[in-house]
Amino acid sequence: MTRKETGELAQARAAVAGIGATEFSKKSGRSELRLAAEAVLAALDDAGLSPGDVDGMVTYSQDTNQEIAVARETGVGDLTFFSRVEYGGGAACATVAHAAMAVATGMARTVVCYRAFNERSGRRFGRPNAGLTGEPTSQGLEMSWHVPYGLMTPAAWVAMFARRYMHVHGATSEDFGRVAVAMRRHAATNPAAWFHGRPITLAEHQASRWIVEPLHLLDCCQESDGAVALVVTSAERARDLRRSPAVITAAAQGAGAGQMMMTSYYRDDMTGLPEMSVVGGRLWEMSGLSPRDIRTAILYDHFTPFVLAQLEELGFCGRGEAPDFVKDGGIELDGHLPVNPHGGQLGEAYIHGMNGIAEAVRQIRGTAANQLTGVANVLVTAGTGVPTSGLILSAG
Amino acid sequence: MRTLTAHEVTTGTALPPSSVELTPTMVISTALATMDFTPVHHDTALARAQGSKDIFLNILTTMGLVERYVTDWAGPAAVIGGINVRLGVPAYAGDRLSFEGTVVSDADGRFTVEVRGRVSLGDHATGTVTLTLPAGRAG
Amino acid sequence: MTREDRIHEELRELAAKQVALGEVRGVPAADPVNVPMIRHWLAAMGDANPVYLDQGLAPPAMAQVWTMQGLRTGARGRSPVDDMMTALDAGGYTGVVATNCEQTYHRYVRVGERLTAATRFTDLAGPKRTALGVGYFATWNITWYVEDDEPVAEMLFRVLKFRPAERPAERPAEPSPEPSRREPYPLRPATNQDTAFFWEGTKRGELRIQSCADCGELRHPPGPLCPRCRSADRTHTLATGTGTLYSYVVHHHPPVPGREAPFVVGVVELPEGVRIVGNVVDCPIEEVTIGMPLRVTYRSMDDRLVLPMWTPGEA
Repeated sequence: MTRKETGELAQARAAVAGIGATEFSKKSGRSELRLAAEAVLAALDDAGLSPGDVDGMVTYSQDTNQEIAVARETGVGDLTFFSRVEYGGGAACATVAHAAMAVATGMARTVVCYRAFNERSGRRFGRPNAGLTGEPTSQGLEMSWHVPYGLMTPAAWVAMFARRYMHVHGATSEDFGRVAVAMRRHAATNPAAWFHGRPITLAEHQASRWIVEPLHLLDCCQESDGAVALVVTSAERARDLRRSPAVITAAAQGAGAGQMMMTSYYRDDMTGLPEMSVVGGRLWEMSGLSPRDIRTAILYDHFTPFVLAQLEELGFCGRGEAPDFVKDGGIELDGHLPVNPHGGQLGEAYIHGMNGIAEAVRQIRGTAANQLTGVANVLVTAGTGVPTSGLILSAG
Repeated sequence: MRTLTAHEVTTGTALPPSSVELTPTMVISTALATMDFTPVHHDTALARAQGSKDIFLNILTTMGLVERYVTDWAGPAAVIGGINVRLGVPAYAGDRLSFEGTVVSDADGRFTVEVRGRVSLGDHATGTVTLTLPAGRAG
Repeated sequence: MTREDRIHEELRELAAKQVALGEVRGVPAADPVNVPMIRHWLAAMGDANPVYLDQGLAPPAMAQVWTMQGLRTGARGRSPVDDMMTALDAGGYTGVVATNCEQTYHRYVRVGERLTAATRFTDLAGPKRTALGVGYFATWNITWYVEDDEPVAEMLFRVLKFRPAERPAERPAEPSPEPSRREPYPLRPATNQDTAFFWEGTKRGELRIQSCADCGELRHPPGPLCPRCRSADRTHTLATGTGTLYSYVVHHHPPVPGREAPFVVGVVELPEGVRIVGNVVDCPIEEVTIGMPLRVTYRSMDDRLVLPMWTPGEA
């Protein structure tokens, strides 16, 4: 498919015009709704817009704050578009994709995307929940082939892929550890990061306790309280607003054949993320760009092994080559492809991928803590192991 | 205080017996020091109204006294790994809690001590304490 | 059904529900581990061991002290134990006596560290006849964490909730020995028309794999349509019960309801051509490797659920 054939979205050109966030903490001390409202107001202020300008809202299916509640708190009036995206953190970039579609089709003019939670001080995703198999819904049944055996935490689901990846590609725990070390090094110089000023060594990674073998504690992203919001409007209008726009050059969602939620153990060779390949394929088609055009990538890093798999699925390196790519410094700030200059979810905060999109916007604006030079295009991904999404944001 | 070394202890070693007088002050001060304000541990009238003979030791104190009994013997460098207690009759104020203990297992510096704490009504607490001791000098 | 049967059923159901809640975290301790409370505790206990104040360590038996509510009200989140105790009281089991307290200390906590207690209700057994009266044994586990989720101490606590006898016993005798009745396993699979045959099979010691009645294609996990010809006409075949380990994990943390960590979960490749997830058991963890031959075994988890598991097999 050529760029011309990929439809309205790229031509209509939506852009991220504003970003806003609360502080990232382990205990916000505030309600999730209040966090959402604070981030939304901050994003609107950043864009130079007022709540009255908003006519669309998108969030994750998992968000506990209904669009209408956030609208009430922030003073947003009539909404002509609202949408939710499924599949946990896989929703992150898709909220922007849905917003861009709404702007492109005229469903809405100014759409706010948000994610807010007290994931550390409130309900923690890493805690086993026997209710996962409670109902014979398609997902409850899917979980029923795993949860009864005690395979019921995100770390455990990912560890099953990680072990197979090690076996097939000869990767080691240290290969995973180098991802964590890089993320913590980036976070160390990002004042907004929870782990600001707290880098780790590979030895510390290796010494950290087992969570689910082969994953150590330091292979797992942190758990955070906080909120991030983004304002999406047309690129044309964004150019007239307070900040320089981050143009949405491409946006895609992806699920693969035989897809399950975190437990796609029954397809292919279990070493890759076919759904991320679906997303990548669409992003390259839609943008007409290739991996070498990407200055920096924001790769979803809830667990280190899937950062390696993403580098391969998106074509930044070949199959099984990611450990060497990382070992050679490829994802460092001065590497071939700096990954997560903000420190990612391992270093900055776990806001379900939404904070990564904000970092991509800052890199394009030139306002990031670890600002890279000459940033024209940034690729961003969403949750891995689940149906997912991705974006290419560009200067202009 | 000197700490025993692994070299000096073996299965069958008996701990010297020891006892604690359960004065009302003891029962109340330990209850409060363990942040347990349940009235049966400090309010005699209320404890009696509920069918008890008197105020009695709370469980957090029983655990503390078992720990103390073993570390009094083993010394400050002993590291307590766990205390398993089966609780029996209450330890009332005015009674005396007497401990005796024996080392029942010994594996690489890790010991298990069987402890029995008795009051006039019978066994108040029986169980085991695991601890590690520093290695002794060779020879 | 008698009233007693009804109470029993309700208690059992509530217990299963509370067990299924898994680990529930309380609020962090009001105060971090601190010298004044340690000094006061040592003085009250008559404990002269100098190591604690010299090295800024808390006596391990103080673990629970740090997260006690004290006289503060409303300072503690509701734990899964509370509802169970309320229901037992309502059922007439108003007496209470603690029977077991087992504490494990992973390390001594230091002055300045702040503990959070997390409670897991694990078992309700009864009714049992005891010297105190008829009652239920309720068991729960508390794990104390410091920041960054490091568990520093754990406790198993068991109480007997009993119906006081007509005349209060002169002295509470030793409670009767450990109850043996099986409680519901908390991690139950959901089932429907598409999957029930599998779980019926495990109860009979059969590993049933869905097979298409039209084209013979095998499928696991099962579902309503054949993945090859989309026929809804299904039957099943019995797997030979051998397989090889395709991938596996060793679960350490956090605690999983109904399971004792560490435990192994694997993806097993069957010679029939499908994969299935299950526990690898009866094998030292360090000997588990990808490619090892396995043989199915069946474990009864409670009165209703049998899970297929995998033990080392012949190459």
